[in-house]
Amino acid sequence: MYRWDFTPIWAHGDLLLAGLGNTLVLTAVALAGGLPVGLALALARLSGNRLMAAPAGLVIEVFRTTPPLVQLFWFYFGLPIILNVEMTPYLAAALTFTIQSGAFFAEIFRAGIVSVDKGQSESARAIGMSKAQAMRRIILPQAVKRMFPAMMERSIELMKTTTLVATVSYADLLYQANELAQKTFRPLEVFTAAALLYFVTITLVSALGALVERRMAQSGEMTR
Amino acid sequence: MTYRWDFTPLLDNWQALAMGAVGTVRLFAVCLVLGLGFGLIVALARRSRWRLARWVSIGFIEFFRNTPVLVQILWFYFALPMLVPVEITPFTAAIFGISLNSAAYSAEIYRAGIQSIEPGQWEAARAIGMSGLQTLRRIVLPQALRRVLPALTNRGIEIFKMTTLASVVAYIELLHQGKLIASLNFNPLEVYTVIGALFFLFLYPLVRATYALERRLARSD
Repeated sequence: MYRWDFTPIWAHGDLLLAGLGNTLVLTAVALAGGLPVGLALALARLSGNRLMAAPAGLVIEVFRTTPPLVQLFWFYFGLPIILNVEMTPYLAAALTFTIQSGAFFAEIFRAGIVSVDKGQSESARAIGMSKAQAMRRIILPQAVKRMFPAMMERSIELMKTTTLVATVSYADLLYQANELAQKTFRPLEVFTAAALLYFVTITLVSALGALVERRMAQSGEMTR
Repeated sequence: MTYRWDFTPLLDNWQALAMGAVGTVRLFAVCLVLGLGFGLIVALARRSRWRLARWVSIGFIEFFRNTPVLVQILWFYFALPMLVPVEITPFTAAIFGISLNSAAYSAEIYRAGIQSIEPGQWEAARAIGMSGLQTLRRIVLPQALRRVLPALTNRGIEIFKMTTLASVVAYIELLHQGKLIASLNFNPLEVYTVIGALFFLFLYPLVRATYALERRLARSD
């Protein structure tokens, strides 16, 4: 019978927490980059201009259809050869996950924008708004509310996918756990602790998301 | 100065890539069957009469959906052998991680499908003398599965993409073989471009087919 011993993990708990911090930083950076990239891709795809729609569509489809680990390796090992620059694990991870989550967010934006009744943009244009104004003031505010659950789900997927960066030695939670397991010879305790940390973090984030979602639904009813 | 692409080392090593492709398809097939199969069992357990079965199934779904699949694979590879005195191969660890993760996701898909069938159908089947199990098998599941077919196809595509994670525990699949070729020939740009292209060319038709299926089912419903 195996005797569990978590003392080495408590002793190095700061390592795991530092890893969790890096996981959260990377997720936040990819979100901050991915949302505008996603909006830009969605607007380009909906623009009706083939020169903009076709490349945007290609980026969206390629990044949604290929495995994220292959994308990460491409950005980390492949891209520096074209650009002739040095690539750090952080930069490669931030680039990969910004573009990749952007591709997924683009489809959520698109579905949200398309779901707003056509009459809304027509009446906005009729009272003299430009296309961009109508999008910014009328369409997007309504679309964002509807997109929120899907955005939340995608952000959680993003956080889980960031574990892949451990393979290019960015010091996220999984990477730190792997190091600690080798140092302490306690893989069972370390990986269990890491899994629990992920579980607690992700459960908290989704609970927070659900709370915001309910608030938004309530405030929507009141203004109506 | 522009980089000169050179694909000859890849063409010379096509056998290594073919071996990787076989490994990818093998892992995918096993995980697809186990993941979607076990997912149905979990979904049925979740609506079981017994409270214990419901709790276990909810706990399983929540835990496997709220932890990263790579952590799951590494847990089965590095941690599980400490608990049980058996050797865990990279193949087994990958099967455990990917199948259980997919089971948790597909259980929620099945559940949505079963819930979408109106209660009147259950009542009608019971009224003509079918047992609960018969109703499920003959009336509810055939309709529910049809409705969730696009979601299940999407899950299948996700499973195919997930197989690349097995390269982290050195299971021989496409990405693992690519890494090997890249480290021997110093050509990561060509290698990862080709691997990405292979996945895209294989999966994109399936993605389009799923869209088409979705539209068709939406029309017929």
